[in-house]
Amino acid sequence: MAVTDTETEAELDATAVEGGSGHGRPADVLPPVWANGTDHKYIGSLFVFVALVFLVVGAALALVMRAQLTSADADVVGARTYAQLFTMHGTFSVFLFLLPVWLGLGSAIVPLQVGAARIAFPRLHAMSFWVFVIGGAMVAAAPAVSDVFSGWALGSPIPEKLGVRGNGPDFLILGLALVCLAAVLVSVNILVTILQLRAPGLTLRRVPLFSWSMLVSGAVMILALPILIGAFLMLFVDRHYGASLFSGYTGGRGGNPLVWPRLFWFGAYPFLWALLIPALGAVSQIVATFAGRRLFSHDRAAAVLGAVGILAFAGWGSEVRTLERARPMFIVGALVILAPVALLVLNWLATLRLADKESPDRSGLRRGLGQAPMLWALGMLPVLALGLAAAVVSALDAGRDAHTNYWQAGQQHALYFGAATIGAVAAINFWGPKLWGRRLSETLAKLEVLAIVGGTLLTVLGMLALGVQDMATHLPTYASDDGWGPANLAVTAGAAVMGLGLLLLVADLLVSIVLQKGLQAGPDPWGGQTLEWATPSPPPPHNFDALPEIRSATPLLDLRTAQAGTAQSSVDQPQGAAR
Amino acid sequence: MTVVAVPAAAANLPVPAADLTPIVLPTGAPVPGPTPGRPRRGTATIGALLLVTADAMVLAALVATYLAIKSGSSAWPPVGVRVSTYPPTMISITAIMSAFSVQWAVYSTRRQDSRNAAIAMILTLFLGAAMANLEWLSFTRTGFGVRAHPYGTLYYLLIGYHLVHLVLAVIMGLVLAFRTMAGHFSNDRHDPLRAGAVVWQYGNVVWFVVLTTLFLLSRHG
Repeated sequence: MAVTDTETEAELDATAVEGGSGHGRPADVLPPVWANGTDHKYIGSLFVFVALVFLVVGAALALVMRAQLTSADADVVGARTYAQLFTMHGTFSVFLFLLPVWLGLGSAIVPLQVGAARIAFPRLHAMSFWVFVIGGAMVAAAPAVSDVFSGWALGSPIPEKLGVRGNGPDFLILGLALVCLAAVLVSVNILVTILQLRAPGLTLRRVPLFSWSMLVSGAVMILALPILIGAFLMLFVDRHYGASLFSGYTGGRGGNPLVWPRLFWFGAYPFLWALLIPALGAVSQIVATFAGRRLFSHDRAAAVLGAVGILAFAGWGSEVRTLERARPMFIVGALVILAPVALLVLNWLATLRLADKESPDRSGLRRGLGQAPMLWALGMLPVLALGLAAAVVSALDAGRDAHTNYWQAGQQHALYFGAATIGAVAAINFWGPKLWGRRLSETLAKLEVLAIVGGTLLTVLGMLALGVQDMATHLPTYASDDGWGPANLAVTAGAAVMGLGLLLLVADLLVSIVLQKGLQAGPDPWGGQTLEWATPSPPPPHNFDALPEIRSATPLLDLRTAQAGTAQSSVDQPQGAAR
Repeated sequence: MTVVAVPAAAANLPVPAADLTPIVLPTGAPVPGPTPGRPRRGTATIGALLLVTADAMVLAALVATYLAIKSGSSAWPPVGVRVSTYPPTMISITAIMSAFSVQWAVYSTRRQDSRNAAIAMILTLFLGAAMANLEWLSFTRTGFGVRAHPYGTLYYLLIGYHLVHLVLAVIMGLVLAFRTMAGHFSNDRHDPLRAGAVVWQYGNVVWFVVLTTLFLLSRHG
């Protein structure tokens, strides 16, 4: 039931007047999601499901690309097909996997974390999902309509319409605009939920770090994605109605081809960071939970996450090749943003160090470190570190007027895609049991982490090696005397291992969650610290029957500490719950 | 609510914590926790503010492109292009009137005067329809098409951007007008109306940005 006896008459009125169908429902029985389902946990789970489908498709495309590049002069796919694979792999990974996976986890978990009974605008949330599905379907259908080969940044061939006939690119552009629209709407929903629906006592400073990271990421998306929507709109008018905004001086019709990359990257660069920020927030919470103590500093972690969000707007020019005069500014911008990320990693390490110091025999910490979400979180560290190191080098090289080589690809695959994806899987392992009531397999998790993290590292190192050898990213094939064979083989091997890991993960999800063979999660499988663990798994439609008192960012940890205090005479002091 | 359903400890807790079965305070009393958060007053308004912030960034992309292309062009608007300044002038006056009328609706609702609120809403809708009509008129009298030149493309895009907002805002206003007349809003409970006013005023801001970009910063007539 959505109405408790503590509510006032006025609040009941509000539900009656503004609630309408769906979320003011008196019973715990919700309609099936395809029929007016507005529960944020339903919709969030659907987002995650769709994202995982696109992850598998995107990975499959990458494997075909790698098959083509494994050896010199290969002829697995033609140059045209390769260019299409290249485009769709990037588009799927960024817009149809990383984006919806965070939108889904965010909208499912944030209301629980801030102790809200629901998301701020439930029907808008449902609508955003279906807008996303339509947009995603249009994007996925684009290559079936006609050739699409522009890279995920919709680079040269599309604006100039050179050699690109047919409506495929138009499908792609409109689909992406819809996807961005859906993301903006979900972000607004999450932001308003955090700003307006927090439980009493949960001040903004006490918002758990994952919710905080969604707040930061949502704010970045609200400012950055509309730029992309506007850019897509103009690109569509250019292509479909034959206008010439971006099509250059060649036809003498007065457009400006330099505008497109600037506009795109002004939106897309912060957007990429917005996809990493929730991963950083999720891992912050996972590290603290499995260390069995508070984070070293919640406030500083929140501050650096906010700093990443703000600085995300400083380096967009580092991706644009025609900004010679402004180059130094963007080099600094692309470098400065790495500092807060590094500080956050230090915060995690300090937390683990403190937990280690506080536990005399280390058994609690050791057990915590071996659990699936923590393994994924730890697995993210080397990938993130490699990405940060590579990013320093590519920042110094930013905006150089040369082709994009594999160094940049390696850096992006580590920093944005690798770290963010591993963080997302960690989050699914951590919060999946809360949302779906079942835990993923601990045994398989070890293999999955090994395969996916190991594969990612091998792939990225191979790409960086190719970067040193100056291989361009767009090449569909190469000659044997280029000397790129060994590194390409390493990249392919890494990708194949990653593919195996992904297969394991999908099988794990199917068996544990869909077939319900996983361990029963119980309300609090991990010794959680925040409010979402204070309700059954899966939570009821109204989220909470009651809440513990909130006096810090970790109300459940406080509660456990308080109880340990009373139980001290009979039971040993629990190690994790340090004062 | 006396029983507090906070977790029983799972067997596999990483932290070998004390027995967690009943979540109670050290005194033995159940936790006197807060009630779960529900929408507070102003939630719809804050949502509308965030939404128009996002929307303003779309407009920013259009204006930035306009200025970038303009700065690289020798003649702007292109030679031979003349657009009438009559519709934009009239739209500006109408926009100012509608800015007041929509605030009148909010003001009246706040003073529990639903009759004046309804009149104000209908007047606002009428002014909105008048603006849409003028914009359509200005579209039909340009003498150039969308693909003629970048100026033409952006002329249609910028004014069309406002027109789309206007149409959506009028639909939204219709719903709000009916709700006003149905007595849904009271002096202390009219959040959707305020949110609607935010969106409407944003539409007016869009118009004046478009006016500045297209007409005030370019030479016409």
